[in-house]
Amino acid sequence: MLGFKLSAQRPPEPERVADGVVSRFEHVFEVEPALMTEHVRQQDIPNWDFQRIVDSRWEHLAWMHEHFADSVISGEELLAELEAEQPNP
Amino acid sequence: MAVALLDSVVDELTAICGPDHVFTGRSATFNRARVPAPFPVHKWDEHVPSAVVLPTSAHQVSEVVKMANRHRIPVVPRAGATGLTDGAVPLRHGIVVDVKLMNQILDLDHENRTVTVGPGINMLKLNEELRKHGYIYPDNPASYPCSLVGGRIGTSGWSLIGARYGHTRDLVISFEIVLPTGEIVRVGDGGGRTVRKSSSGYQLKHLFMGHQGTLGIVTEATLELVPRPEAEFSAFFAYGDYMDAWRATGDLARSGVATLAGVVLFDEWKLAYLRRDDEAYIPQPESIKGVIACASYGNADEVRIGAKRLLRIGNASGGVYLGDEISQGDWASRHDRYATPQHGRTRDGQVALMSWHCEDASIPYSELPAVREEWHAIAAKLRERFDMFDDWGMFAYTNGAFKPWGDYLTEIDIGIWETRWDEETWAAWVDAKRELARVSIEHGGSISACHGSCREGEVDLVPAELGGGFEVMKTIKRGLDPNNIMNPGKYLLDQAYEEA
Ligand SMILES: Cc1cc2nc3c(=O)[nH]c(=O)nc-3n(C[C@H](O)[C@H](O)[C@H](O)COP(=O)(O)OP(=O)(O)OC[C@H]3O[C@@H](n4cnc5c(N)ncnc54)[C@H](O)[C@@H]3O)c2cc1C
Repeated sequence: MLGFKLSAQRPPEPERVADGVVSRFEHVFEVEPALMTEHVRQQDIPNWDFQRIVDSRWEHLAWMHEHFADSVISGEELLAELEAEQPNP
Repeated sequence: MAVALLDSVVDELTAICGPDHVFTGRSATFNRARVPAPFPVHKWDEHVPSAVVLPTSAHQVSEVVKMANRHRIPVVPRAGATGLTDGAVPLRHGIVVDVKLMNQILDLDHENRTVTVGPGINMLKLNEELRKHGYIYPDNPASYPCSLVGGRIGTSGWSLIGARYGHTRDLVISFEIVLPTGEIVRVGDGGGRTVRKSSSGYQLKHLFMGHQGTLGIVTEATLELVPRPEAEFSAFFAYGDYMDAWRATGDLARSGVATLAGVVLFDEWKLAYLRRDDEAYIPQPESIKGVIACASYGNADEVRIGAKRLLRIGNASGGVYLGDEISQGDWASRHDRYATPQHGRTRDGQVALMSWHCEDASIPYSELPAVREEWHAIAAKLRERFDMFDDWGMFAYTNGAFKPWGDYLTEIDIGIWETRWDEETWAAWVDAKRELARVSIEHGGSISACHGSCREGEVDLVPAELGGGFEVMKTIKRGLDPNNIMNPGKYLLDQAYEEA
């Protein structure tokens, strides 16, 4: 059996990042727990489940790009090209 | 209450469709009573069909319709059931004809670039097959994963990439339809199955598109095949002022870039809503009051050149490019932004499970700022009265096919805590819906760009919008459906029979 300890899966304490929003992992946001006390309760999610949700999301987005076209053109690259094309002042 | 059909009628249906394809039980019928538009859950029983059939051929559909005429039983076509104007909701019980089993690819014509399918096929699934041949069928609603070709025709749908490839009416070449009296006919441009442009006879394709199942049941459709795009480009720009974003939207839409597939304008209410729990918008500063998304598709070299022009326009209009991660990721999320019940908030900020409801209209570009103010005021009044409605902001999407600058699919999204419906709140909602429609007409728009306009509230204003055209609608309905069996109660068309 694979080792799995719930205590090792506890996410870090949340930090407030915006009005009504907290974050425990970089770029992963959650609704502030105080807003989820009356009608909907917040659930405890182990670290692996956070990771699974985030990874699945990226996988889904990559799938969607690929479903519609063979490649995705980067705006950042084009902006850099546009800048390079500008005549020097 | 659900109305039971005579056993002999159920026997007839079984003889036509087979014993495995006829259902009268609670689960099959109750689940086909509603669509995701606001639904009076406190009156669920009133919309339950008496029987559900899942036919597998045009012949079976035709026989069901003929039988329904003999017994004067209402028939309601149903495809993916994602329609937002109650089209597939049985208002008078009767028989729901669910076309989901008619989901085959029947013919792929490489020479003439068409694919012929059953009405129960979904575009995502179709495109998985077409990809093997280097094609795409680019009808791309936000309901792409769940709506079906039959429903796209029944509503005359709108596509997120319609500026480049056209909308449903531009992409469906011809189709076979069972008329309300059971005859099977094919309509298109002229009589040819694969002809894109004809001047022969009446243009019946358009008549039978967007009728919300009131003029028949589509049993087969021949669709346009488009080369699968080599490249996709999407760019999101942020603005400190809604009016700047609105002006830039116009600039981008009028750019003449041939690969441009669509431009979307987000207003500040939408951004405030997205800041609640959307990872792309939470980090954005409060000073951002408008966002524009634009996307293009096609051959890689053409998309690149067009994209540079779009970026130049975005920059010149004061927009800040939001980076590749948001631009690409958020565009890829374009089908997902809607089924998010946890985004609902009560007036004191508590999270409540609300369903998403999108009210749409076609609004001329010049009127977008004014309509936005009036629509938000209507939503605010609702929320003030009942703590079960929540304003989730507005989008405006380019609406014209190929020439996307004239009018915009304008949508206000309203969260509704549906388990709280009662007579009073339902009536207030219907009034609000009517008000939204009134504003659209007063500003020279149309009640709906993509969903249709046959729901309670909005439908009251259809005669005002269409004028003499509504009289023609009634004449056509009476002529084609003498017994008023096809989806009765929709679009005020019962009037056609009262007057007769
Ligand atoms: C999350 C979400 C996003 C959406 N985004 C978009 C969008 O971007 N663009 C857009 O256009 N719409 C959108 N919609 C609305 C809806 O998806 C469309 O109206 C769609 O065309 C309905 O297709 P359906 O297969 O679900 O049809 P249904 O809801 O089953 O039926 C729609 C209408 O067509 C009739 N009908 C069904 N099958 C047939 C048939 N075989 N012959 C004749 N009539 C038939 C029905 O009676 C009904 O009146 C969205 C809906 C949701 C829930």
